[in-house]
Amino acid sequence: MTSKTPFGSDEIRKASRTTAAIQVFSVFLLAILVSVYVDISRRQSDLRDAVRENAMWSVYQFNREAHDLHHRLELMMSSQKIDKASLEELSIRYDVVYSRMTMLRETKFEQNFLSDPSVVTQIEKIQRLIFNNAPIFDAIIAGEPMSQASLTSLAYELDVLSRETADLLVYTNTKISAERAEGRIELESLQRKSMGLIGLLVLSVVLLIFTLQRQLKGVQAAGASLEAMADKLTISYQAAEAGNRAKSQFMATMGHEIRTPLNAILGMVELLELTRLSAESAAHVRTIRRSGEALLDIINEILDYAKIEHGKLELEQRSVDLLTLAETSADMMRGRAAETGNRIVVDLPYRWRARHVLSDPTRLRQVILNLMSNAVKFTSKGTVTLRLRQLRGEAGLCLRVEVQDTGIGIGEEGREKLFRPFSQVDASISRKYGGTGLGLTICKEIIDRFGGRIGVDSVTGQGSTFWFEIPVEAAAAPNLDVALQQSQALADLPSLKILVAEDNKVNQQVILGYLKHLKQTVVIADNGEIALERARTDAFDLILMDMQMPVMDGIEATIRLRASGGASAETPIIALTANASEEDRQRCLDAGMAGFQAKPISIAMLHRLICEVERHPAAVAADTSKAPVQAAAIAPAAPVMEAAVPSAAPASSATSRPASLDALSARRQEIADVLGPEAFDELMQSFFDDAVELLDSLRQSMNSGQAESLDKLLHNLKGSAANVGLSEIAERSQALRTTGPTLQDIEMLSKDIDAAKQSMAA
Amino acid sequence: MKRLKSLLAMLTLVLTAPQALALDAPKGPVILTIRGTLASPNVGGTAQFDLAMLESLAGRTAVTETPWTEGKTAFSGPLLRAVLDAAGAKGKTLLVRAINDYFAEVPMEDAGALDTILASRMNGKIMSVRDKGPLFLIYPFDLDPKLYNEKYFSRSVWQIKEIEVKP
Repeated sequence: MTSKTPFGSDEIRKASRTTAAIQVFSVFLLAILVSVYVDISRRQSDLRDAVRENAMWSVYQFNREAHDLHHRLELMMSSQKIDKASLEELSIRYDVVYSRMTMLRETKFEQNFLSDPSVVTQIEKIQRLIFNNAPIFDAIIAGEPMSQASLTSLAYELDVLSRETADLLVYTNTKISAERAEGRIELESLQRKSMGLIGLLVLSVVLLIFTLQRQLKGVQAAGASLEAMADKLTISYQAAEAGNRAKSQFMATMGHEIRTPLNAILGMVELLELTRLSAESAAHVRTIRRSGEALLDIINEILDYAKIEHGKLELEQRSVDLLTLAETSADMMRGRAAETGNRIVVDLPYRWRARHVLSDPTRLRQVILNLMSNAVKFTSKGTVTLRLRQLRGEAGLCLRVEVQDTGIGIGEEGREKLFRPFSQVDASISRKYGGTGLGLTICKEIIDRFGGRIGVDSVTGQGSTFWFEIPVEAAAAPNLDVALQQSQALADLPSLKILVAEDNKVNQQVILGYLKHLKQTVVIADNGEIALERARTDAFDLILMDMQMPVMDGIEATIRLRASGGASAETPIIALTANASEEDRQRCLDAGMAGFQAKPISIAMLHRLICEVERHPAAVAADTSKAPVQAAAIAPAAPVMEAAVPSAAPASSATSRPASLDALSARRQEIADVLGPEAFDELMQSFFDDAVELLDSLRQSMNSGQAESLDKLLHNLKGSAANVGLSEIAERSQALRTTGPTLQDIEMLSKDIDAAKQSMAA
Repeated sequence: MKRLKSLLAMLTLVLTAPQALALDAPKGPVILTIRGTLASPNVGGTAQFDLAMLESLAGRTAVTETPWTEGKTAFSGPLLRAVLDAAGAKGKTLLVRAINDYFAEVPMEDAGALDTILASRMNGKIMSVRDKGPLFLIYPFDLDPKLYNEKYFSRSVWQIKEIEVKP
């Protein structure tokens, strides 16, 4: 890859030089142009001043009048008609000649006509002639008689006058012609000058165009080489990206692979701890467990980092109660803080601008816990303060979280290394305190994704303050029923002993996970018969009974339990079913059940049930929703759940997204929130494993023509799918129950399930 | 009978003459004759003026440079349109003729739109033929410098003796 444009820059430089030269030249030309313009405009004003009478015309008129005067006198003398009237006429003609004479002397003629010496002498000559004869005409006007002799001499004089004026006329013509020629020559020279100038200007424009073209070519070449470079860069970037992806993929795969045996080790260790061990062995086992847990933490961090690097970090927007978030985060750290002799202090605003904000509670808590665990790790016998503040900046509301400790602090150069992957302030730290050094990197990535800033202020030996600021939006306080994740709500919840009769493994896991999350004691029964046995011997506070189970269904088990008078004979029983028809309802109530819940089960519904059982054990309100079968099968049972998931559209079919999709995302979200992502993944895995078995059984039943087991299998599949939010598979299974499946249908179903698996794995 | 006729004539004059007052006959030597379609001729179909008649009409004094005089000169005389109105002249073009039969075509607008005068005096003195008299058509160069060019110089006739009004 070259960092030089081989042609472009050189060319451009050369062209720039030429352009500069041409610019100088143009300025020079412009100066000349201006001077020529000044010259022309001066001539223009001369022209304006040169508004003059026409000398040629005046002299011609003069000559004509003089000739006319002489001619009249000749006529008078030859015809012998010398009367008063003709003499007066002659005198008027003389006056006209006289006036023409003075005209010649006084008029402004063109081009210095009157400054010509020959003209002046000639005019003076003529003037003398005219003035000399004035007395004769004065006498004529006075009426004095004219003798023949004086008339003859007058005629001679007038003849001379006529010839003299003719001479003047000829001379004037010559002179004016010469002057016209001179003027033309001058004009031509001016035109030549202008033409030359225009030529030069044209030349400079042509040169300019030429250099511009060269520059353009240079720019184009530079652009082309830049483009080529960009292409190369893109290719190398893609290669690097591919390598990076492969690395992340590898890390994720390895993480999963390591975690599976590690979970087994931890499970076994927990079992070991329950057995009687010598003090020494117990210590060893404890060490194994702690190391295993530490290893699991590290792997989880690596996986998280890989996920972030892979660009799979997606934030949600949900209503978060900041107060609860802070309290629960602090509560979770208290145990570890006690181990290192630290005190945890929570410092919240005196008055909230918005206690509830739209954000991603899971990620927010992850960052806070990470910062706090660091603080606890690097502080002993000190104080770790979690401080929340809300600032109203230009961009709106901003949440600032500080985690302040009184620990060892971080030096200047150490601070630069923070937030970089796999870097710790120095190598001895990881030996002393452990950790991958990924924690802060993950935090930074998350905060970047939030569009916020993260940083640290620290003084070595006096402690550090890690802080981050993220933009948040105020949210409406969620419905109290939905405050499931609030420890206070959980704390208020009574701890009941609950029997769950459910044959489907996936459903079992989900319900178990939910109830565990709600801090309930749970017993699982695989079918009605087992449930009946447990309920006879143990006293339960609440029984959740699936209606369709192998061996003995929910209705029968209920009837028998009520009849048997066992330990839980009076315990409220809630039916769980996907068939939410009025008929089924009635059957449940007739059998002695207290209520009826459409599947899939939501945590909100369980929460409500537990509260109600606590308040009125005798009368647990039934879910009165009379939704049609399909909607009941796919929409969450408790509509209040929607408030907790603002991103989900209301579950009405009027929205552009199908309600099933919202329900799906809401459902999956809920499971993931409650069970944690790990458990969710495992749950999905077990669903897919189950589905494979179910599909196999379906194929076998098709081949052997057992319609009854077909329906059961489909029902089962539908239940599991609805439970993990795969509503389309659930709907298809339900539809096949009524139409009766063909082998082709089952293959289609199998394909759908595979596709879902692929999309989950993506 | 004769008296009755003259009475009738007087009556018709009184009745028909709010705008066309009959032009008096000239008393002194005639210095300007107007020919053409005239509403109020005074001598056999033409309107003839002596100096007194002309100088009694509305006029002005133009103090201006001309190509034919040295320095600023004051020309005074009746406005051309006043002279034409007195004769009741109607037409589009005027042929202004001089003693030596030189003539120039002057469009009627030059009389209406411009304060053109038939100057009878130069610097207060009556102009003789030797001084380009008796009448000199002077354009208002003092009011509108744009008129100061050869086009109007050629229309500036001097030694005027008659004006012919063309339709």
